[in-house]
Amino acid sequence: MATDLRISNISKIYPGCIANDNVSLQFKSGKIYALLGENGAGKSTLVKILSGIISPDNGEVFLNEKNLKLSSPLDAKKNKIGMVFQHFNLFETLSVFENLSIDATEDNKSLRVRINEILKKYNFSIDLDVPVLNLSAGQKQKVEIIRCLLRSPKVLIMDEPTSVLTEQETEELFISLKKFCDEGILIIYITHKLKEVLSLCDEVAVMRKGKVVSVSQTQNEKVETLASKMVGQKLAKIKKKINTSKNKDEIFKVKHLNFYSDDPFETNLVNLNFSLKKGECLGIAGISGNGQNELFQILSGEIITPDASIIFRNKEIAKLNPKQRREYLMAFSPEDRISQAAVPELKIYENVALNNFKSSNFFEKGLVNERKIKEHSKKILSDFSVNTDNVELKSQFLSGGNLQKLILGRELITAPELLICYNPTWGLDVGAINYIHETLIKINDEEKSTILISTDTEELLKLSDRIAVIYKGKLSKIMPSVEVTPEKLGILMGGGSID
Amino acid sequence: MSLDISFIGVLIGSIMASSVPLILAASGELITERSGVLNLGVEGMMIIGAISGFALMVITDNLFIAIIGSMLSGVVISLIFGFLTQSLLTNHVATGLALTIFGIGLSAMLGKNFVGIPGKDFPILFSSLRESIPFFGPILFGHSIVLYFAFALPFLTNYFLKKTKLGLVVRAVGDSPVSASNQGINVILVRYCCILYGGGMCGLAGAYLSLIYTPQWIENMTAGRGWIALALVVFATWSPIKVLIGAIIFGGISILQLHMQAVGFRIPVQFLIALPYLMTIIVLVVISRDSRKIKLNTPTSLGRIFYKEK
Repeated sequence: MATDLRISNISKIYPGCIANDNVSLQFKSGKIYALLGENGAGKSTLVKILSGIISPDNGEVFLNEKNLKLSSPLDAKKNKIGMVFQHFNLFETLSVFENLSIDATEDNKSLRVRINEILKKYNFSIDLDVPVLNLSAGQKQKVEIIRCLLRSPKVLIMDEPTSVLTEQETEELFISLKKFCDEGILIIYITHKLKEVLSLCDEVAVMRKGKVVSVSQTQNEKVETLASKMVGQKLAKIKKKINTSKNKDEIFKVKHLNFYSDDPFETNLVNLNFSLKKGECLGIAGISGNGQNELFQILSGEIITPDASIIFRNKEIAKLNPKQRREYLMAFSPEDRISQAAVPELKIYENVALNNFKSSNFFEKGLVNERKIKEHSKKILSDFSVNTDNVELKSQFLSGGNLQKLILGRELITAPELLICYNPTWGLDVGAINYIHETLIKINDEEKSTILISTDTEELLKLSDRIAVIYKGKLSKIMPSVEVTPEKLGILMGGGSID
Repeated sequence: MSLDISFIGVLIGSIMASSVPLILAASGELITERSGVLNLGVEGMMIIGAISGFALMVITDNLFIAIIGSMLSGVVISLIFGFLTQSLLTNHVATGLALTIFGIGLSAMLGKNFVGIPGKDFPILFSSLRESIPFFGPILFGHSIVLYFAFALPFLTNYFLKKTKLGLVVRAVGDSPVSASNQGINVILVRYCCILYGGGMCGLAGAYLSLIYTPQWIENMTAGRGWIALALVVFATWSPIKVLIGAIIFGGISILQLHMQAVGFRIPVQFLIALPYLMTIIVLVVISRDSRKIKLNTPTSLGRIFYKEK
């Protein structure tokens, strides 16, 4: 039976923000629909309304021309609307089976039979009796999906489902979603990743600032057209002028960097050697888990490797800790913004103060000079176009893009000679990515150097002057980026060799 | 020798009796905490239960009404806590502390006219068996019905949490109220029920003290047992069976150290008095070392305020 879901004139207003402004959309089963938008465009609000978690101020939802009253999640369940949230709605300490049985109406025995049928049908392999906290992100998502499937849904909504998945898991998810679609389930796929829209979805609705700005067939769209609809303006094409001058001073040199770890989850590094000139960007490519974490931690001084030689501005720094390296004008932007780069519970200005102990006059006789820190933070917020001017805001309330801008701002305002960043645009939307890229290019233009460790090959090709690939803790030959193609990188990242 | 054995039997029986209020209060609090609510008002709810039970016994001369009334008084006073923390979203810790202070003060005021009134004998079960069977008689028989209930309660609680649908819901709410709410579970209602249940058990624990254990009303007669019960729940890592073990150890060493004092061991009295606290903590820490299990039993959302998105 065909399903027809219609959203009519939905509005939801929060104090100071119109989350949904008269949104009307129509969906039919047999297709996969994308709901595309930047962070804060109102996608999540819309799906929360569809799943009964929040009620709209205005507007109606029709399923097969029946007006739905969605005043609680139970109503959505009853009307066969299933929802897989970005932040999983699972009970971590309960077993998989307990998670699935909590709102089941049948007895445990027949429920287990039905779950096993689903596992078999879609080729999922999950142990039902382990606690959810032992599962990987991909497995957790499967549990969420099974929970929806148990109620034989007509509509399945996926909210940013790939943000926590590995590439392999993403592929598996897409295969499953296509299967569900073929079985007549209407799928609404919420994302800000343009490529996923193009490869998975049939139709795409773009939201911006709470409004639907376009609905179109994905076959008529390209990455560029969707991107400009999403951010509301044509994105400036960033092009870096490649730094070729050979006679510049060497500023950074790593010799015989070895790292050996007993921890099976860490990667050993084997004899890394590389150097960097003033104003140059060295890109380090690789599939995550090939030693990038360890390399970043060694370069930042979190791990000290006394045998290696790291020369920075003609000084041996291998034995210095991160604070000392910062004082020596290095700056770092780690991969994990929330747990490594910033303290989410602290206010913006407190986070700014964290790494600027000596270079500024934030502290006098052991006391915090709040006024100076706040002034300084305000300058960062405005210089790096962070979307707030409230330095008292807790950092956890910043979106990923704004938090990354704040972190970069904090690092760069001390005018470092070398910035080392690891996946600086991970999980960000196009607008923010563009801004970060512009910033990184500007650093090189000002004759400062950058080391960019990234898993995003496109980003590396765009920003680097020279590129090397890290694979199982070993570094490939360093190549000028003009000679590198995505295909070449792909081969090296997979452990192959080129000549 | 036969005298010794029967003495040990009586000793064990009295240890069991002394651990009853701890078992009752801790089992109640355990359910409350398993739903994610930290109610530090255990001591206050117990003392209110103690005075209500005693007063009702004096007024109605009916022990059944006294017992039921004490539980209801615990429910009512925990309802205040529930309303403040669940409906008005106040901080659990501060509200619980206030409840204890309030309970102690209120019970002293209500109890003024009941000081010095003698209590009534509480009926005991199987008293003939107690006398006729050596050693096991005083252990197994001749106790009040409340004691038998208390010793069954941890097992019932365990069964409830592990095997029943409602127990699963309580654990789910304690693990992640947001997820539970998004699954259509009425988190606030579940938490209210758990708070009221905890209040009822604390009321009963108080009544056990004033009606059965030492049948009289003395101001502040719970004497910190509520705090011990609270600590037991945490040190037992939210496992009902370990709560039972902890309560027996605490009760046991409290009784034993009295005997040691009487016999005149050359150990400082202060150390003997501290011994039950010390031993309970040591034993519970030793039996609760499996960090994986602790993680699975600990209510993740304990003490955090939950409010529903609108």
